[in-house]
Amino acid sequence: MSQNQPKRWVAVVGNPNAGKSTLFNALTGLRQRVANYPGVTVEKRTGTAYTLHGEAMELIDLPGMYSLSPRSPDEEIARKVLRGESPGIPKPDAILCVVDASNLERNLFLVTQVMELGIPVLVALNMVDMAEARGIRLKPEELSRRMGVKFIPTQAHRGKGLVELRTALGQKITDPGERRWVMPPQLAAAVGQIAAAWRDALPAEQGAEGRALDLLAGFTEGPEGARKLAVAWRERFREQAFDWPAAVVQARYSYLRDMLGQAGVGHAQGHVTWTDRIDALVLNPVAGWGVLAGILMLLFTSIFSIAAYPMEWIDAGFSAAGEWVTASLPAGMFRELLVDGVLAGVGGVVIFLPQILILFLFLGLLEDSGYLARAAFLLDRVMHRVGLSGKSFIPLLSSYACAIPGIMATRTVEDPKDRLTTILVAPLMSCSARIPVYTTLIAAAVPAVVMPAWGKAGAMLGLYALGTFTAFGLAWLFRRKMLGGGSPPLILELPPYRRPSFRTVLLRMWERAVIFIRRAGTVILALSVLLWFLCNFPHRAEDPSERLAKSFAGQLGHALEPVIRPLGFDWRIGIGLVASLAAREVFVSTMSIVYHVGGEEEGLIAAMRHATWPDGSLTYTPVTCLALLVFYVYALQCLSTVAVARRETGGWKWPAFMMAYLTGLAYAGAWLVQTVGRMVSG
Amino acid sequence: MRPMNAIDLTQVGAGKEVRVSRLDCAPGTCQRLREMGFCENALVKKIRGGADLVCWVCGTRVALSARLARQILVETVDGNS
Repeated sequence: MSQNQPKRWVAVVGNPNAGKSTLFNALTGLRQRVANYPGVTVEKRTGTAYTLHGEAMELIDLPGMYSLSPRSPDEEIARKVLRGESPGIPKPDAILCVVDASNLERNLFLVTQVMELGIPVLVALNMVDMAEARGIRLKPEELSRRMGVKFIPTQAHRGKGLVELRTALGQKITDPGERRWVMPPQLAAAVGQIAAAWRDALPAEQGAEGRALDLLAGFTEGPEGARKLAVAWRERFREQAFDWPAAVVQARYSYLRDMLGQAGVGHAQGHVTWTDRIDALVLNPVAGWGVLAGILMLLFTSIFSIAAYPMEWIDAGFSAAGEWVTASLPAGMFRELLVDGVLAGVGGVVIFLPQILILFLFLGLLEDSGYLARAAFLLDRVMHRVGLSGKSFIPLLSSYACAIPGIMATRTVEDPKDRLTTILVAPLMSCSARIPVYTTLIAAAVPAVVMPAWGKAGAMLGLYALGTFTAFGLAWLFRRKMLGGGSPPLILELPPYRRPSFRTVLLRMWERAVIFIRRAGTVILALSVLLWFLCNFPHRAEDPSERLAKSFAGQLGHALEPVIRPLGFDWRIGIGLVASLAAREVFVSTMSIVYHVGGEEEGLIAAMRHATWPDGSLTYTPVTCLALLVFYVYALQCLSTVAVARRETGGWKWPAFMMAYLTGLAYAGAWLVQTVGRMVSG
Repeated sequence: MRPMNAIDLTQVGAGKEVRVSRLDCAPGTCQRLREMGFCENALVKKIRGGADLVCWVCGTRVALSARLARQILVETVDGNS
């Protein structure tokens, strides 16, 4: 292939749980790129694979879907890519359909739709080992002959069948195949007319029948003549009370059932398996909750204890880098910018990488093993009470690490109102960036001798519970009262339990790490430099406390004081609140600068305990610390979350609402604590 | 209107196999159910009962909320009651 010749594009499609991503990873290895589709945050995963002759081709891993009818942002994107309607992505030259061999009837339903796109199709008959273990007789040649597309048996998790797949992809299949299922007569007449009108207007386009069905369903635009015919037929079917979409599904399934029967492909028997035995425990209304609580406890223990070691190493690494820069460069503004701005700012965020990776390790293992679907099923009833479905559980769980992956994970939530509600309440789940703030303020509020370690852990848990319960309460308010309408009923596939593919999980973690570090090196870096500037200009006094007091940030703190004084906060806390808009944990480092105590936590806590108002009264009374804690539980002190929410909701309206309601809630909560605290203490 | 002798999926005992006779839900939900294998005349085996339930359909387990299961009308097949 010459260098100038464009690469072939192959789209990889399949049902969720068909092993599509495992096969994609096996074919592309580390030659993957993750980006977003233009205008939306649905992730676009592409990678380079090679045929046996070394010819490169671009594979695009589309989100898992049950049909080409678009019902979630994921499915909408997949449909657009396959139709060649996604900006910046060429129409695929071929489609690789990955089907679960032990569940052929349901998986081949999608294949019958894909075959109508007019693009050559190749089918990977995946997980053949598991299918055969379940007593299913597979006959790939027979299936190929009967469906008119090539079937290749694979075991993606063991790397089997990849050579055959690469060979077949290199053979440049050109035949798009043809429809084999039989349309009901009245529908066949309609599709025939619409497809003919389409061909007349656009003779070069393939797959006119599929286009006609899409046009009839209102999923796509088309040439005027074809569109008018579709409207007329739709009206006629309505008058005849002919439910044509139902008839199409029935006709496809009927064909598949007959075809599989004639091909001699056996059915999986619904006898009791290991999956059923495990389900008897994990879906049990009592024991199931115990299992879920145990898994969540293990997850949080890992996030907060195991992650502490690599976090210390990262911290030590950035401290050593800071010391090296301090020793290597002459004193001056540039050195300060590097040490206090760039290294302190970026290091303060990169330190959370281990926690995020542990969260994604757990999520990956739970998802790959099949448990996550059970957790969503178990939680559906609870979530339903607040107007959401069990599918919102995963995004909310992810938000305990960071609201950004949490908000991005909402793309799997089909209902747009459910999705929006989940995005709106996700920042209320206490993220890992709040931990340093919580730890410092709890220590400042109560001396260690008074409060034992378990008491502090309890206080921490209380703050998490406050955020979580408020999130559920507000979800109910937003979903039921503000957005209106009921939440969609749960339909969820429970895949059989499988041994997780560590390769897939580790690759996913690697991707997360790259995305996170890229963000730290761009957005966070820029914000850190800006914050350093605001904290150090226009006044260049020698004393850091004085410099900060007279800086732009200091002036802002003073300007804020009248507003935050009812909460018991002074101008110094005001600086912390402004600075921590970049990232919440910046509050701790800013307070260290404000009280001129360096980076030592004990020094800061002691300084905060002794800080006073001009009249000599203590600034950080236990009530003020509690008010500040409540403020941090609720406030949207994270510009990156706002930016992601804007991309995800497609505008500024909802992020602005999110910022306004969370700030209002934080202010009201802190004011209430302060007012009640004053009344109680007399 | 529900046929006189029709029962919904919540009324079926665990372990019983039934045939889907009608779907009584919103068009979008009906279509998703059909695509997942719950189309008219399909055989469905109820694996677990309770507030939310699990069925075996088209070779896979599908969980449904009770609210949705009440909208799936079924008829018993020979050998079941």
